[in-house]
Amino acid sequence: MNLLNRYLQEVSRHLPKAKREDIIAELGANISSQMEDREGELGRPLTESEVLEMLQHHGNPMMVAGRYRPHNLGLAFGVRLIGPELFPFYRMILLLNMGITLFILGVLLPILARELHLTITLGRLLTPLLAQFAAVTVIFIALDRGRDHVLNRWDPGKLPPLKTTPEEGPNARNIFNFIAAAVGTVWLALTPRWPYLLLGPGALYVSALHVTPMAEWIPIYWEMVVLLCFQLVLQFVALIRLLPSRPARITDLILKCWGLKIGIVLLFKFPNYVSSPYPEIAEWANLTFLICVIVAMAITLFGIVRQLLRLRPEAAAVNYAR
Amino acid sequence: MQHSMNESTFENLKLELRRGCLVLAVLAQLRVEHYGYTLRKALADDGLDIEESTLYPLLRRLETQGLLTSEWREEDKRNKRFYRLSDDGRRVLQQLLDEWQTMGASLNRILWEQKI
Repeated sequence: MNLLNRYLQEVSRHLPKAKREDIIAELGANISSQMEDREGELGRPLTESEVLEMLQHHGNPMMVAGRYRPHNLGLAFGVRLIGPELFPFYRMILLLNMGITLFILGVLLPILARELHLTITLGRLLTPLLAQFAAVTVIFIALDRGRDHVLNRWDPGKLPPLKTTPEEGPNARNIFNFIAAAVGTVWLALTPRWPYLLLGPGALYVSALHVTPMAEWIPIYWEMVVLLCFQLVLQFVALIRLLPSRPARITDLILKCWGLKIGIVLLFKFPNYVSSPYPEIAEWANLTFLICVIVAMAITLFGIVRQLLRLRPEAAAVNYAR
Repeated sequence: MQHSMNESTFENLKLELRRGCLVLAVLAQLRVEHYGYTLRKALADDGLDIEESTLYPLLRRLETQGLLTSEWREEDKRNKRFYRLSDDGRRVLQQLLDEWQTMGASLNRILWEQKI
């Protein structure tokens, strides 16, 4: 039964949230009946290999879930390129990919546009977008072509183990998040005293090259330390299950928005993060820092979107049990 | 190469031919109430084998279109979702059957009376 539960868990991961519970309950009942029927025919319980074979025949969880998507769309150009089973995942990954690319370009291009002609700037906008579109599309077309060879040749024995429910105590992710928040807070608190924690061997050159940070760094730095302290408290609360998951998620969302706000403030400080009598050094340092800010903002934004999606009204817990 | 191409063309055409027939068969079979697994068995017993991953989503689509109704009920100590034909489904099934008979008669004329 554990195998069936693991299979249903994997199917449910790819289903639309609104109908997940209902579909899984129905699928579970149907497969269980099929198993009982087979057991009746054989006059004995099914062996593990027989259950594996049955699940293998039932189909790859991703493909099975894909067929329950409301719109049976696909991509075709004369001939079918991406079938309806894979199309929802293609669309989701394409949107995510293009969204992140657009965000990064949207921030970088106004800076580049100061020095370059508009057409060159637009060219630089379109090239990565088209490249991303082409890459994702080609990968999915190849996946669709090899559907029978790749997706249908999956091993039910390798399905992920059942996840513990949030009420069952700390899981590996909670522990990791808490340790990461603790290390991050201590690291940031120590960097002013030991700059090599941030810059590595490059710290030795900072004074030699007379690189000086902008004056606004001090309040922004302390704001970041306070934010990380809050994050640490939240991770601790999540670890010992002091808050139900929804308020914990809302708090995390607020902290992430705060982090994004710090990122926006930093963005507008470009190109004055540091100054130096050597313009090339200052330019290089400022650009490097800008890229770090953009990457951090993209990760934070992704976290915000993910948290918002999780905060949508949830169906009751999925019942995998037979 | 040519052989495998013919095979895949045949498979695609067979798939298209089956697609419409499956809906008709499912609607006809659901004049009597069934849940997913017993419906699949009933169809298989009558010689129409459908994959689970095709049939179960199809039932939901037909229900969304208003052709089927469903209810959760306990049977053999397990909750199951039972489907049956709705009033609209009954009307549509009758129309489809008329269409099927007209097409069947035409095909028979084309295939056999013209001796192709």
